[in-house]
Amino acid sequence: MLNGVLALWSAAVLYAVFYIVPPAQGLGYLVRIAFFHIPVAWVSVIAFLISAGCAVQYLRTRNILYDWWGSASALLGLLFCLSATVSGAVFAKLTWGAYWNWDPRQTTVFILLLIYGAYLALRSSIEEQEQRAKIAAVYALLSSLTVPFLIFIIPRFYFSLHPEPVLNSAGKIAMDNSMLYVLLAALAACTALFAKVLTWMVSCKKKRQDQTAAEYEKELRQL
Amino acid sequence: MPAIKSPWRKALWAVLYKEGLCELRTRYALSALAMFALITLSSVSMAIAGTSLTPELAAVLLWIILFFCAMAGLSRVFVQEQETGTIFTLRLYMGAQAVIFGKLLFNIVMLLALTALIIPLFIIFLNVDIRLGFSLSLILFLGDVGIGAAATVTAAMVAKTQGKSALFTVLTFPILLPQFLAVISATAKVLSHTVPGLTELFFMAGYDLVLFIAASILFDYLWYD
Repeated sequence: MLNGVLALWSAAVLYAVFYIVPPAQGLGYLVRIAFFHIPVAWVSVIAFLISAGCAVQYLRTRNILYDWWGSASALLGLLFCLSATVSGAVFAKLTWGAYWNWDPRQTTVFILLLIYGAYLALRSSIEEQEQRAKIAAVYALLSSLTVPFLIFIIPRFYFSLHPEPVLNSAGKIAMDNSMLYVLLAALAACTALFAKVLTWMVSCKKKRQDQTAAEYEKELRQL
Repeated sequence: MPAIKSPWRKALWAVLYKEGLCELRTRYALSALAMFALITLSSVSMAIAGTSLTPELAAVLLWIILFFCAMAGLSRVFVQEQETGTIFTLRLYMGAQAVIFGKLLFNIVMLLALTALIIPLFIIFLNVDIRLGFSLSLILFLGDVGIGAAATVTAAMVAKTQGKSALFTVLTFPILLPQFLAVISATAKVLSHTVPGLTELFFMAGYDLVLFIAASILFDYLWYD
């Protein structure tokens, strides 16, 4: 049921992006990329925050479930972050003329990508489950320190070609109404998709763990 | 565990003293780092053979050398303990805060010594003209403190992993990057003879402070099982 709603919703968003959204001033139909680019960039930050939140919970409770949630979220976050980087680079090439020019937000997304990569590399190099969970949680928290600097300080230090955020400091929305609704719908669809895959990954992991435990128990009984 | 642990300031000095003594006995880290710095600096200088670098490039080069020197030597404080098994004894006698701050201070002192060695070489090999000595020292100090603080915590993490040295760089770089951007732009300003703004200095000092606090809080989880 939920899957059906999600599929329908996503299809509706796609239809709206291609047939309803008007061409933007100066961008033309290239603006369609933004309806992919902004939601995936948003989710890649959300995934990082979830990972950091799970790290706090893990260190407090030592419940391994939080580690599973955190690591699955980081893995998905890496994929979304890669999509955001690639779609952003293509967008930049088509509108600004170069794939990469170290715009502050490009720097930010690049650091986020590095953090995801480092976090996953760290996880893969520790075998023992509890050690891995603990050290990875500490690293997730340590790297989350950079987030306020990346989001609030760097973009203000340097000149950016990126447009102001949709909800900018003046509180005004500089966007056509139909565009705004489609963008919000796309954000919701992307977040829901992320949540769906995340829960699926964790439940798979749980199932596998239960299976191994059951087999282990069976072997023990045979002995 | 001993029932009474020594007061933390004494314990901190004990850790710092121990690290210094070990280093003086082997002289491994400092000699390796010094050679590393010499090789990188001289190879760049040889390659460009006399052409002078712009302040931006010189600043980038200086910090790249410092960063990779740090990556070559700073993980030793924990990796060595883990490999020789002395970490268990240390854990018996010392609390987490004394260990992290002792080792952190030791790493910062090492980096500062290394910087003091690199700067004259930098001036000689790359023909850099430095007029704002105080500003440069301040920036170097703040940058070194940042590298030392971040590297000490990540060293504690990689000590328990496989492939320690490669992972050490990978883990430390993203954490240092915001500091790095600020430090490099400030150094470039100083090398082109303009005084960097106060906001930049506050940013660097603030980042150092945040790293110190994070090191203090997070190390407890790594140290006590």
